Amino acid sequence: MVFLGACARNKKSNETVLTFSGSALGAEGTLVAKQLQRFMQLHPGVRVELQRTPDDANQRHQLYVQWLNARVGNPDILQLDVVWTPEFAAAGWVLPLTRFNPASKEFFPATITANTWAGQLYALPWFADVGLLYRRTDLVPNEPRNLGELVTDAKQAMARPGGPRFGIVWQGARYEGLITGFVEYLGAFGGRILDDSGRVVVNQPQAVRALQFMRDELYSSHIAPLDVLTWHEEEGRFAFQNGTAVFMRNWPYPVAAMSDKTQSRVAGRFAVSPFPASGEPGGHSTATLGGAQLAINAYSEHPDAAYQLIEYLTAPEQMLERGQVVAQYPTRPALYSDPRLRTALTIPLDDARRAIESATPRPVTPIYTELSEILQIELHRALVRQAEPQAALDAAAKKIDALIERTGMRKLMAGEQKPAAPTASSTAGRTE
Amino acid sequence: MRKISRLGHEARLGWTLVGPALSVIALIAIFPLGWTVWESLHLHELRMPWLGQPFVGLANYVEIGKDPRFWGALAHTAFFTVVSISLELLIGLFLALAMNRAFRGRGFVRAAVLVPWAIPTVVAALLWRFMFESEGGIANALLVDVHILKQPIVWFIETATAWVPVILADVWKTTPFVALLLLAGLQNIDLSLYEAAAVDGANAWWQLRHITLPLLKPAILVTLIFRTLDGFRVFDLIYVLTGGGPGTSTEPVALYTFNALLQNLRFGYGSALSVVIFAITFGLAMIYVKGLGVRLGGDET
Repeated sequence: MVFLGACARNKKSNETVLTFSGSALGAEGTLVAKQLQRFMQLHPGVRVELQRTPDDANQRHQLYVQWLNARVGNPDILQLDVVWTPEFAAAGWVLPLTRFNPASKEFFPATITANTWAGQLYALPWFADVGLLYRRTDLVPNEPRNLGELVTDAKQAMARPGGPRFGIVWQGARYEGLITGFVEYLGAFGGRILDDSGRVVVNQPQAVRALQFMRDELYSSHIAPLDVLTWHEEEGRFAFQNGTAVFMRNWPYPVAAMSDKTQSRVAGRFAVSPFPASGEPGGHSTATLGGAQLAINAYSEHPDAAYQLIEYLTAPEQMLERGQVVAQYPTRPALYSDPRLRTALTIPLDDARRAIESATPRPVTPIYTELSEILQIELHRALVRQAEPQAALDAAAKKIDALIERTGMRKLMAGEQKPAAPTASSTAGRTE
Repeated sequence: MRKISRLGHEARLGWTLVGPALSVIALIAIFPLGWTVWESLHLHELRMPWLGQPFVGLANYVEIGKDPRFWGALAHTAFFTVVSISLELLIGLFLALAMNRAFRGRGFVRAAVLVPWAIPTVVAALLWRFMFESEGGIANALLVDVHILKQPIVWFIETATAWVPVILADVWKTTPFVALLLLAGLQNIDLSLYEAAAVDGANAWWQLRHITLPLLKPAILVTLIFRTLDGFRVFDLIYVLTGGGPGTSTEPVALYTFNALLQNLRFGYGSALSVVIFAITFGLAMIYVKGLGVRLGGDET
């Protein structure tokens, strides 16, 4: 950092120096460096420095928050996790992009919603990550059309001689991964955590049924092993890759390793699909949205140049290249009909597109991290049977309400909500 | 007259000489503590600049008092401290008595016993986590083999079973340290006392109760102080082993504070928590020193 600072001071007087922070490891780092190089050739007056930040999301978040509290203008461009944008926007740490007229219609709507706070867009989606349902095609040839079928399929496959011990594995430890899975079950039953006006609805009947369903997988239909309550992504991948699970909920990242015959017992015998709906009215197939966004540091000295760079990196050509080289999912639907991408992604393009189309952002609110912590604890309590689903979700709702009160969210939403979302401001001031 | 002015001069010289040391103490101990107290009287959320940093008086302390998660964390910490220290003292005393005997290779045994204590806590915690893994963990395999368990269990999803690896790991790791402190105490006991007792026909049990334990009291109390304060600050072991779960049912105060201060970046509330922990540990130390009459200076008891 000190070194980079020194570089910046040595700049030629007419040169604009931008600092970019983002994933810079391995093949991804090489690709980013290449794309930045091309950008500099197109814009001779601009020099872009790559600033290394920790790859671990929590650490990067903490670092950004410290810098921005100190009003540091570097890095000019921030790579945000999908759930950070509202927090950074409400804090005034990133610039609204409205004045640059971003082509937000060209991106998947969910990725735009996730980056919109108080009616304004604050970041452009760089690449997407979505929750997927993996299944063993040798045991379950057709994807389950609803959660009931998923249970039946899992049981049948487990009952086969030599069949896998586990029906389904997911991320059930008490951490963010538990929320990503819960959001998918929640959507399947038509429930939500917050409604459009920011009201807490996580203790409504649909949500209780979703949580009850997850619990039944553990204790009633026994398709999910109790072990998942301590598992993160990797433990689930090991189980599925070793052939001990029929289904798995996970992100797209394990596809490559699991397709490799030298380390995977299920290579060529699995497929992915969007997580199915419950089959109950109002329920729909839901994939939790993850991924990275690019935003402009509010203290940047060169916001215009910074936007040019963001626009360049999120342009179709660069995004396509990213898909081809590091197999990350583009956030532009148009690219999914591009033949050049057809062989690049590790899963069939149509499956990828379907999953992203059913993608749902986690609650778009500046207090997401704390909301998530509350929910993680209460969900885990219900899943380990320390509490009944209804009681746990009631407790979560009560605590989230208190959090909204304590952090002045109601006032903030009522004051800042633009006319674009009139429903929000009209109900935001409600009393309990 | 002349004497007084010389005293004044000496006093001034004295203050000048200790001045640097005192200012270092002020800078590294008193100033941060004072700042933490000041911070704890404010609302200061690093992630929510729209709230500003208003002075809120004791509001943070009131919030702590009203949060059941804090009281739970306090109870878990106390439980952990009492159970693990009791076991450590018992086993540590046994080890110390054994090591106090003259036998061949005593030096080697004394060094070998210290090995668990020398392993970094995080590494030790990871090892114990592996041993208590539901799939392929040695704990399940052993217990199923000897028919105590019918089938492997998931240790970390029930409060009662989640405590088992936590307590075991702490006992395994810290008993050597306790044993060494007690051994030092044992070596201060005059052997002629035992000889006299033996002449009078006292058996080993009587000697233990009436000679060893009373004379070991200072060492035991020093150990207690060390271990209570340590136990109260337990963090890394539980962070790695259970993460405070299931739910928050094994979460100690240090982990709760870490969450508020470093995960949620609630500086005001987190500072108030730090002050509360400081007050509790300070109070505990006072109780030991005053109430139990520990002489830390090596006075005769």
